Amino acid sequence: MSAENTQTTMTGSSHAAPRGLASSGSEATERYLTFRTDNLIFGVSTNYIIEIITNHAITTMPMMPNYVKGIINLRGQIVPIIDIRLRLGKSAIEYTNTTCVIVLNVDSVFIGIIVDAVEQVLDIDYSQISSIPANNREELVSGMISMPDNKVVLLMDCETLVNNS
Amino acid sequence: MDNGMDNMLDMYLFETNSLLEQLDELLIEAEKAGDLTVDDVNEIFRVMHTIKGSSAMMEFSSLMQIAHHIEDLFFYIRQNGLDSLNITHKGTLFNLMFRSTDMLRAEVSKVENNEPLSDNVDNLTQEINSFLKIISEEETPKNTEATIAKSSEPKKSEQPKKVSAPATQTADLDKIRMELAECPDDNASFFLRLFFDEGCGMENLRAFMLISALKESGLEFNHYPADIETNSKTCATIIEKGFYLTFESSKDAESAISQVSNLNNIQSYELIENVRVKNATADEIKTPTAPVHENAVTSTPAASTGHQTPNKQNLISVNLAKLDNLVAIVGEIVITESMVTSSPDIQNLKNMDSFLKATRQLRKLTDDLQDIVMSLRMVPVSGVFQKMNRIVRDMKQKLQKDVRLTIVGENTEVDKSIVDSIGDPIMHIVRNSMDHGIEDSVQERIAAGKNPQGEITLSATHTTNEVIIAIKDDGHGVDPAGVLAKAKKNGILTKPENEYTQKEILALLLAPGFSTNEVVTEYSGRGVGMDVVKKNVEAVGGTVTVTSELGKGMCTTLKIPLTMAIVDGMEIAVGKSVFTIPIANIRQSFKVKSEDVIYDTEGNEIIKCMNQFYPIIRIHTLYNIDSKITNIEDGILVWVESGDKSYCLFVDDLLGEQQVVVKPLPVYLNSFNIKNSGICGCTILGDGNISIILDVLNLYAAAHNQY
Repeated sequence: MSAENTQTTMTGSSHAAPRGLASSGSEATERYLTFRTDNLIFGVSTNYIIEIITNHAITTMPMMPNYVKGIINLRGQIVPIIDIRLRLGKSAIEYTNTTCVIVLNVDSVFIGIIVDAVEQVLDIDYSQISSIPANNREELVSGMISMPDNKVVLLMDCETLVNNS
Repeated sequence: MDNGMDNMLDMYLFETNSLLEQLDELLIEAEKAGDLTVDDVNEIFRVMHTIKGSSAMMEFSSLMQIAHHIEDLFFYIRQNGLDSLNITHKGTLFNLMFRSTDMLRAEVSKVENNEPLSDNVDNLTQEINSFLKIISEEETPKNTEATIAKSSEPKKSEQPKKVSAPATQTADLDKIRMELAECPDDNASFFLRLFFDEGCGMENLRAFMLISALKESGLEFNHYPADIETNSKTCATIIEKGFYLTFESSKDAESAISQVSNLNNIQSYELIENVRVKNATADEIKTPTAPVHENAVTSTPAASTGHQTPNKQNLISVNLAKLDNLVAIVGEIVITESMVTSSPDIQNLKNMDSFLKATRQLRKLTDDLQDIVMSLRMVPVSGVFQKMNRIVRDMKQKLQKDVRLTIVGENTEVDKSIVDSIGDPIMHIVRNSMDHGIEDSVQERIAAGKNPQGEITLSATHTTNEVIIAIKDDGHGVDPAGVLAKAKKNGILTKPENEYTQKEILALLLAPGFSTNEVVTEYSGRGVGMDVVKKNVEAVGGTVTVTSELGKGMCTTLKIPLTMAIVDGMEIAVGKSVFTIPIANIRQSFKVKSEDVIYDTEGNEIIKCMNQFYPIIRIHTLYNIDSKITNIEDGILVWVESGDKSYCLFVDDLLGEQQVVVKPLPVYLNSFNIKNSGICGCTILGDGNISIILDVLNLYAAAHNQY
C-alpha cells in the first residue's frame, strides 16, 4: 500500500496539515527508512522497499544518463540501478563499504537506488510533515520533517523517481 | 462444483465460438458460390442444433431461441429441398443468416464478459419466422393437402413447427424427423412431440398435469422423460427436446391432439410416425426390443442431451497461461543446462568423455523440447484472415462496391499472442481500403483502365525472424498533396510543406487523428484507425509502413517479429561488458589487417568483403566502453545483417555460442528510449551475469545518429 492510499483513508481530521495531508492523531504514522546521501538525510516509505543489498555486480547499460548505473540480476529479476547522488545532480564519490543499494518496488516498477549509507527506520507522523518552501522546491522531495534530535529528514517522492518526469 | 461450472462454461464458449466461426466460413463460401449445397444445409442445421442444445443446457435462452428458429428454418429447407428457394430468397436467406450469426456472436461475447443477455430477441426470430412463412407459402400450391390443412389453422400459423409439420408424410421424411427429434427408444407407433411456451417455467409439472388430464380421459400412452414428477432436471430436457407422448394407435394420438390443442402454454406439437417400428415389423429382422418400462428409459433423455460434438480434428484446447508457464520453465531449463555444463567445478576434471557425451545428448533433447514448446504457441493466421472475408462482404453490400478479397499464405504460423494483436489492425486497414481505397464507382475504375472489380490482397509471409503481413488494394491510392493539405489543416506538420518527402507524407497517415476522408462514414474516416494500427503493431514489437502510388493503389505492410523468447546468440566481449548478438543476424566473423580498412571523407572506417563495402561500427566507441583493444588488428569484426542493413561490428573477442532466454528490459529504462540505442533485451548467463542483447537494425541507426 502506498503512502497516498493510507492518507486517503484518514478522514475527520481535527487539524489540517499543509499540502492537504490529514491526520487523526498519533495513529497516522508510517514507517520510513532513512538513508544518507551527500550529508542529506532522506526518508523512503518502507511500503516500497523490497530489500537492501550490498556488493552487487552491476552490468552497465550504454547510452544512458550518467545516474543510471546499469542493471543487476536479482534472483532472476532484472533491476535497474540509479545513483541517487548523480540523480540529484551532486558529484560522484568513490563507493565505500557503507554504500548500498535499496531495492524499491513502486507500483510494480522495480528500481534500485545507490545511497551512501542506510541509517534507521523511523515512525513518521503525517501531521508533522511540512511542505518544502516553494522557492527551493526539489523535484524528488515530497515533504520534510524535523526529528527530535534536530535533524531534518527529506521524504523521497518515489513516484516521481520512477516516472522520471 | 464451481470449478466444474467454469469448465463447462469454458467448454461451451470454446465450442460455440468455433461453431460460429465454422458457420461464418461456410456461409461466405456458399454466398460466393451463390448457392447452398445439401451438405451446407445439413451442416448449418447440425451447428444450430448443437448451439441450441448446449445453450439450453447453460440456460442462455436468447441464444437458444435464435438457434432454435434458424434450426426450424433449415429444417424446412432440408425437408423441401433447395430448389424451393428462388434467387431473391437465397439472397435474403444469406443476409438473414449473417445477421443471425452476428447476433449469436454478440450474445456469446456478452456471456464471455459476464454481461446480462438480451432478454428480447423477438425482432430477429420474427424475421426468421416471416421469412420461413414467405418461402413456405410460396411452396403451398405444390405441397400436399395436409400442409394446406395445417396452414389454414390461423391460430397457430405463426408457429414454424406447425408449418413444417404436415400430419402425414412419407417414410423418408419421417425418418429424418425421427433423427432430428431424437425420439426416445420406444416401440410405440406414434410419437407426439410437445413444446411448451418458451419461458413458461416448471415444464416438468406442466407435463405432469398434461398426462394426468389425458389419463383421465382414458387414453393409454407412455411419456418421456418418464420421471417428470420427481426429477426437476427434466425441465431442461423438455424445453430443449420437447416432451414426448407415445401412442399405439393413430386414433389415440388424434384424440390426444384434440385435447392438447385446447390446453394453455402449449407452443407447438408434432405427430411423428415411428419408422423404426414400422421397419422392424415389416422386415422382421430387427431384434425385438423388450417392452419398454418407464424405469428402463429414464436415462435415455439425459444421455441424449450430450452435444453432437463434431469429431473432425484431433485437437485439445489448453489454457494459454499454462502454456506460458511451460515456455518459462523450458527457458529456465536451457539456462540451467548451460550452468551445469559450464560449471567451473568440472573444468578441472579429466576423463570427461562420458560426461561430454551425456551433455551433448542433453543439449539435443533440450533443443527439441524447446522447439516443440515454441511450436505449441504457433497458430496459423488463417483465422484472422477469414474474418476479413466477412468484413469485405458486408461492406461490399453497404457501399455498393464490387471487390474481391484475395488471401495469400494464410497457413503462415505465428505466435498466438501476435495473432490476437494483429486482428484489429488488419481489420482497420481492410476497412480503410474498402471505404476510401477502392474507387466509388465502376466507371471510375474502367476509366482508369482497371479491372471493374476491385481487389484487396491480404498476404502473409515468413522471413527468418519476422512475419510480413501486407494489405494491398488496387484503388486510387493516396494523393500526397491531399494528405499534406489535410495535415496542414490539422496542424500536425512540423516543418515547411515543401520539405516533406513522399515517404514522410505517407508516414503522416499514421499520425493520430489523421484521416483523408472528408466524410465520416460508418466504417472509417474518424481518423482513429491508422494510429491505433500503429500502436497495436508496435506493442508486439512490429513496424508499419505505407507505400502508395497515386492511381495505382496502396499497400500497408506490417512487419512483426516472430516469438523471440529464446534465441541462439553469439556472446561477444567488449572491455568488461558482454553482449549477445542473435546468430540469425551474423553472416561471418573475421580478422582484418589495418591496411584493409578504407576511410571515407569523414574518416569513417569501411571494410571490403565479398566485393562489397560495409561500414565498421566500433562498439567500444559507440557505447563508450573502456577497452584495451582499440587497434583493428587486435579485435575481430563481426559481419551482421538485418533487414536492409548490413555492416561490420568491431568487438574485442568472441566468447562462444549460447542459447539465451530473452528477458525484457526493466520498464524504468524504457523512458530513456533504450530501444533506440540498439539494445532489445537482456539475458542471464550461466554464471548469473547479465548479457545485453543487441538489436542489429537499431544499432545501425543509433550509430548513424551519433556520427
